[in-house]
Amino acid sequence: MAETLREADSYILFELAGTAYGVPSRDVQHMEMIEHITPVPNASPHVDGVVFSRGEVVPAVNLRLRFGFPKAESTLSSRLIIVRIGPRKVGLIVDAAREFRRIAADTIQPPHESITGLSGSYLAGIAKLGDRVVLLLNISEVINNGNEILSPAPERSLAETT
Amino acid sequence: MDDFYAECDEHFGEIRGALIHLESAIDQRVPDSTTLLRLFRSFHSLKGIFGMAGLQVAETLAHRTEDYLRSLTGHQTVFSGDGFDALTGATERLEQIVVAHRQGQPPPDISALLDEIQKRIESPRAGASAPNGLSPSNGVQERVQEAQRHGLTIWHCLFEPSQALSEQGKNVNSARARAEALGEILHSAPKIETGGKILFEFVVAGPADPGDAAEWKQEGIALQPYVAPLAPPPTRSAPQRVAESAAPAFVAPSHIVRVDLTRLDELMRIMGDMVVHRARLEEISTRISTHLPTAEARSLQEINAAFGRELRNLRDGLMRVRLVSIGEIFQRLPFVVRDLARETGKKIRLAVSGQETEIDKYLVERLKDPLLHLVRNAVCHGLETLEERIAAGKSPEATITLRASTIGESVVIEVADDGRGMDERAIVGRARASGISVTDHPDAIHLLELISRPGFSTRDEADRGAGRGVGMAAVMNTVNEMGGEIILRTDPGKGVTFTLRLPLTLAIADALIIAAGGQRFAMPQSLVQEITTAEPAAIKQLERNEVMPWRNGVLPLIRLASLFGLTAESRREFPVLVIGTGLSAVGIVADRLLGQREIVVRSVNDPLLKVPAIAGATELGDGRAVLILDSNGLIQSARQHKDRREMKGANYG
Repeated sequence: MAETLREADSYILFELAGTAYGVPSRDVQHMEMIEHITPVPNASPHVDGVVFSRGEVVPAVNLRLRFGFPKAESTLSSRLIIVRIGPRKVGLIVDAAREFRRIAADTIQPPHESITGLSGSYLAGIAKLGDRVVLLLNISEVINNGNEILSPAPERSLAETT
Repeated sequence: MDDFYAECDEHFGEIRGALIHLESAIDQRVPDSTTLLRLFRSFHSLKGIFGMAGLQVAETLAHRTEDYLRSLTGHQTVFSGDGFDALTGATERLEQIVVAHRQGQPPPDISALLDEIQKRIESPRAGASAPNGLSPSNGVQERVQEAQRHGLTIWHCLFEPSQALSEQGKNVNSARARAEALGEILHSAPKIETGGKILFEFVVAGPADPGDAAEWKQEGIALQPYVAPLAPPPTRSAPQRVAESAAPAFVAPSHIVRVDLTRLDELMRIMGDMVVHRARLEEISTRISTHLPTAEARSLQEINAAFGRELRNLRDGLMRVRLVSIGEIFQRLPFVVRDLARETGKKIRLAVSGQETEIDKYLVERLKDPLLHLVRNAVCHGLETLEERIAAGKSPEATITLRASTIGESVVIEVADDGRGMDERAIVGRARASGISVTDHPDAIHLLELISRPGFSTRDEADRGAGRGVGMAAVMNTVNEMGGEIILRTDPGKGVTFTLRLPLTLAIADALIIAAGGQRFAMPQSLVQEITTAEPAAIKQLERNEVMPWRNGVLPLIRLASLFGLTAESRREFPVLVIGTGLSAVGIVADRLLGQREIVVRSVNDPLLKVPAIAGATELGDGRAVLILDSNGLIQSARQHKDRREMKGANYG
């Protein structure tokens, strides 16, 4: 896990159910407004469907459902973050995304032991930016086709790390 | 460097082709000299390019093989099966060396193989010491004598190809034509001299006056009165020696361009975008034409139609560029069958037809493994042992048939054996043992589905040819990914036939756009046999299947909306798309038929989207993704859907 975090990497920060998350910006291709998503019958419940993005068919993962939050209607601030991991290109549906930040490695803590189980595997670390806490995601874990991962309730992870 | 590999591949292909020919000469007196020459030329060229690439190991091996081939042409030696094995062995090893080179690995050892080949060259090289002597095969002498009795003069033409001559369009064919003009060709053969130079000799019965000797010389032909082999060979005149050059005997035709496939892919992508844009243009012009003066509206439509036609021509042209003959992969299979026949002790004849059938390069690459697997399966599972065949009153020699053909926009490939047919009992037994509920006599579609399950195998021990249980699943996967389908036919005691139906090309296809449950779907038109309609009242319940009367029987139906968990519109009439033929025909029930469109197929490979009935996605001009249906997957998931319903029903009951 340590090798994914360098001296000061840049991250795209986004919001989901009131919590701030970050993904390494090198994994992010671009962001889009959410227009039409074509539902794919019988796909995993957290896959809302597919979109055409720059000529490619990209699955759209609803991160709220992926993390066990209730589904929300998409709004004007909703975004599709297109990430590329190896040969795969996947879209992540988030509530809002507007920040690009460099985060110094020494402000990042490894995830607390108590949440390194199933839910911890997609958590690369926890960064403190002033009084804000940002959960940094391990994208390849988030987009693997496992069953719904148990979300660490943001309250709990906050409580345990502060 | 890619060019180097491509060139090697071409030569290997040529060698395999020649070896197939040569195989028929095993244990006969003398192998066909044209074939030997083809082989010789390929090994010679390979030696050259290996040398340039600094692949010394391969160069040495190619050189030794060349020597062996030369010793074969020089003598009337009986060509043995061992000799053939040495040649195939050398070819395989050379390929391994190239692959190792490509992957940056050390080349495999060749010393044993070199010794093996050397042993075969051991025979004395008497013939080679008389380079200008004639070595016509038996029978020529009689024909010569007969011609002489008729008062004809016998001429000996020796053609020596060279770069300079070939640039003037003078080659072995023009030399042959020249010789034919002189009189009847009694004998013609290529001749390989020490040093690898290739000459062609013609023995011609003609008039006493052959015409101007200088003219013959211009054609690169040395013309001399024919001298019987026992007489001392006449010496050749000096000028011919001048024409001798280091150039290869044959120069590849210069009007062939080798293109990187990715460049064609890029063109195809642009083409696809144009197709989408034109569709939008058409939509908009149809919409606004009511607001335009009639004449303007008509000319707009005409331009659009012309644009569409040309685009289609362009598409066809582009598609043709990508087509290669399927023979490329068929060529490998005789060796596989030969090896497997030896291992299993079965006697097998491989009947191949339709090698010239053309198919998209991309598809050919992906077809290699599935075909290999089907052929292996046929040998290992399909064919009985020699004793079993004799006991069953069948011919001891089994036949595996490999057949390719083009039907409309599809390529159909058949792999058939005349073996025992599928062991229904064993398959059902194995399925039940792994907890799958099956009827006692599953139909062909169901059987195919069972044997295509990952991990399914009726073999207890994995042997080399088959039995690892991953094969059929992989074959099915690959074919589905290519937008194709597999049809299984099995006749107990008579054999099994797998029919693969694939689109000619992947990128662009004609499709029917249908609506079901408020969503649009595209169905590749090549898979649709017929479109019919059904009223709700015509749909009957037969056991747990919905069926409708169709032709002389009933057609099982799959309702797209309910299969996908969507809510169907209530309508007075439904369109029904018939896919599959004969007993395996199934009707797909949609809500509405929206029209026919040319679609650009985008594959859907992400593991998150691995849904059985979906083959890919396309876009119709509005930026929204439309899912492309996959007929095999539809049939399979309909079955699973029904199984689930049945299980639920059982619980309640």
